[in-house]
Amino acid sequence: MSELSGQIREAVRKLLRQKEVDLVIGFEAGTLPLHSTPCFIREQQEAERLIWNSFCDNNLAKYLGKRQEKIAIIAKSCDARAIVELIKEKQISREQVVIVGVPCHGMIDRRRAEAELEGKEILEAEENDGELTLKGNGFTKVLKRSDYLCYGCEVCFHRNPVIYDILIGDGVAEKATDQYSDIAEFEAKSTEERWRYISDQVSKCIRCYACRNACPLCYCRECFVDNTHPQWTGKTTDISDTMIFHLMRAFHLAGRCVGCGACERACPMKVDIRKLNRKLVSDVKVLFDYEAGISLDRTAPLATFKPDDPEGFMLNP
Amino acid sequence: MNNPYLPSPMRIEGIVTETEDRNIKTFSLSFLDRGNEAVFKYIPGQFAELSVLGKGEAPFGIASSPTQKGIIEFTVNKIGLLTTALHNMEPGETVGIRGPLGNGYPLTTLQDKNVVIIGGGFGFSTLRALTTFLLDKSNRNSFNNITVIYGARSPGLLLYKDELREWEKRADLQLYVTVDKGDKDWEGRVGFIPAITKEIAPRADNAYVLVCGPPAMIRFTLPVIEELGFPPERTLLSLEMRMKCGLGKCGRCNIGSKYVCRDGPVFTLAELNRLPREY
Amino acid sequence: MKTKIIRKQDMTGLLNNLIQEYEVFAPVKRDDLVIFDRIGSDKDVSLEYTNSIKPPKEILFPQSETLFTCGSIGDAASIEVPVSEERPRLLFGIRPCDARSFLLLDKVFNEENHRDVYYLSRRNDMMVIAIGCIKPRATCFCTSVGGGPFSSQGSDLLLVDIGDDYIIQVITDKGSRLVEKVGVADAGENKLALMKMVIQEAELSMSPQIKTDGLKEKLDSAFDDPIWGSLTEKCLSCGICTYLCPSCYCFDIIDEVTDSKGERIRIWDSCQFPLFTLQASGSNPRPTNKERHRQRVMHKFSYCVDNYGQVSCVGCGRCVIECPVNLDIRQVLTTISNR
Repeated sequence: MSELSGQIREAVRKLLRQKEVDLVIGFEAGTLPLHSTPCFIREQQEAERLIWNSFCDNNLAKYLGKRQEKIAIIAKSCDARAIVELIKEKQISREQVVIVGVPCHGMIDRRRAEAELEGKEILEAEENDGELTLKGNGFTKVLKRSDYLCYGCEVCFHRNPVIYDILIGDGVAEKATDQYSDIAEFEAKSTEERWRYISDQVSKCIRCYACRNACPLCYCRECFVDNTHPQWTGKTTDISDTMIFHLMRAFHLAGRCVGCGACERACPMKVDIRKLNRKLVSDVKVLFDYEAGISLDRTAPLATFKPDDPEGFMLNP
Repeated sequence: MNNPYLPSPMRIEGIVTETEDRNIKTFSLSFLDRGNEAVFKYIPGQFAELSVLGKGEAPFGIASSPTQKGIIEFTVNKIGLLTTALHNMEPGETVGIRGPLGNGYPLTTLQDKNVVIIGGGFGFSTLRALTTFLLDKSNRNSFNNITVIYGARSPGLLLYKDELREWEKRADLQLYVTVDKGDKDWEGRVGFIPAITKEIAPRADNAYVLVCGPPAMIRFTLPVIEELGFPPERTLLSLEMRMKCGLGKCGRCNIGSKYVCRDGPVFTLAELNRLPREY
Repeated sequence: MKTKIIRKQDMTGLLNNLIQEYEVFAPVKRDDLVIFDRIGSDKDVSLEYTNSIKPPKEILFPQSETLFTCGSIGDAASIEVPVSEERPRLLFGIRPCDARSFLLLDKVFNEENHRDVYYLSRRNDMMVIAIGCIKPRATCFCTSVGGGPFSSQGSDLLLVDIGDDYIIQVITDKGSRLVEKVGVADAGENKLALMKMVIQEAELSMSPQIKTDGLKEKLDSAFDDPIWGSLTEKCLSCGICTYLCPSCYCFDIIDEVTDSKGERIRIWDSCQFPLFTLQASGSNPRPTNKERHRQRVMHKFSYCVDNYGQVSCVGCGRCVIECPVNLDIRQVLTTISNR
């Protein structure tokens, strides 16, 4: 990992030295164990701050929109996929961004790691050779890194950036697993069970909008929940209001969601947002054989119309 | 316990469409419960929250003077959800009111002083309340010379036209009305407020100047006022901010530790100079 | 100060006793989250927790509450204020930092000129039984902002876990009346010595995390410092830090209509949302992360000092732990302090 950090710094120094970019968006060490944090670099000497490890879980594509300068972005595969969608949706031009791609072994889900410790506080975390060492007052615990990945990473089949200008390190092997089995499992439940599950989840929502604001594809200038004229939904935490927010947001991301899981990680209330989003990711894959963020050339299915588009889901829902 | 969030019902007595584009109307309201009138004691420069129940609540400067008995007036620019709802209402319908809120213009300080009033556009409404108050026969002798400079973008956007005509005739008031751009029927002054103010050059000795208007007008007028010799302590501004509670609690209208709704909306320039530039 | 003692296993009886008389709110586990909720029996309570994800402020100041209803749109004469028939509330097992936050909320909602009837209807007879922190987290910084793991400010009773027993520190007369009524034993000398040790150990485990000396002056003079831009560039403008903060109290007032019934509702709002200060004209005095995040920090550490004589941060660390981009208020304050 430190090797990759070194290579990233080297690449960034060169980009800034040769004035190829004005701004670099990457990660630096966080203030808490198991945290890295987004950082913004404009001077060569600041490149020292950049790091790469298993805690770089934010989707940095979030920060690309509405900027004028030329930007280099340190992009793991899901960041790169979000960039592809942002380019297609004309939120940023391909020329404005230098993508420094980093093949990804998956990021650590710190909540899963914490759950292992039964309330004991982690004060220090280290990783090497596929192991995660957690230390606190009077304990050291070694975990197998791959058992504590973020859920989105566990089901990720594009671990190598699909688009890049500079590639850091060697590619990683892609996983081959039964795709969307979790969704199939959920779909097998009765309507009542599914509704109850989603309702229970959504009832925890406190409307902080961290899911929306962390999502690289949620960039509407005015989100429909903020619109007051007309007002599409109420602003309270009543389930009738929060449900509309989550359902509408999921639909608005259909065919656009790259499955990075930023929404879910941002949620302080642990609402299972991915269930809705991944169901739609799965539907779009099954119905239109389309995956968001993979190709710059293919138009998103909901942004186009073909006479032979499947329509069974509308006619026989 | 008195509940500061409860509006009192008021009946719309009359509606005057002020501007040619029909986007600004003045509403005359009277309390359904006459007893509330004595409780609602206000001075010019204060504001109140008007509600159309089911649509919401928003703050408006009080456009009438407490010397006008029986009614309270608000001039409303149709710009959002609530103001549109208000504009769609008819005389006889009911709205809610909470207030009076804010500090208002410092009437005692202005006593025996020359008063220079400079208002631009829609911002003139509370200055109109102040002018009406100063001109009232029970008050007029307490104040020295009164100068009013009032501008709008075009003749069709001038507010309170009947009153302006009355004021024109008065000897105890110097009124200067200007428009940014005239039309074929306009025979009055044409020019921006800062330029007109410079030209008229009201004297700063023993005088206070009160300014309310759009940000650009204020930005360009303040240097003129300074040049004319008005010190920041005697330059008063009425500010606008997004507000909700009107009680200094909901958190959005502060400039530094001052709340525009509670500590303002009227501030001296000297006070504002001590606050962060976040307005 | 009076001190009483109760064996841990007897707490069950005490709690069930209290439930007869009060609406008791206590830490409960829901999924993996600890939150404060109404409890029906002692079995729901989970005192083995560091702190709740959401602060207990919502018990006094709910995220959304009806201010009044009215029969039909435009009918201002038909206003009705909801009346609570509820028994007095008792907060059991809250942390000292959260108990301190009530003192600030009191200043805001119980100001002489504007008594907030909604807040006060819940607050007036409320009993607060806090539990001291024997294991403060690394993200806790209560001692830097005037509190401490065993601070009694804002509590009527404070529990200290000394192993098999809880020492009950009796803080207020109200608390005293309660312990007299339920009848618990006085704490003996050796148990009190144990309590002192427990408290000392916890306090020693905490180191100052922010420099508060001269912080306000520093913040006031650094308002225009460009460092605010770089400190806040990663902020996502979400509401986590404000909604999870025990002492953030900003709100919005909105109307909703269902069928023919109109409702005026007060809901939490956040200075981190762009809409918070957006004017109908389109202008916004706090248009970017920089102004919005600066507002949050200034409000807590400067403006509240001016207006209420105290900082509005109790050092609970929720915003530190939960910020999705690890924008750490301790780091922001330290950076400004060192300018």
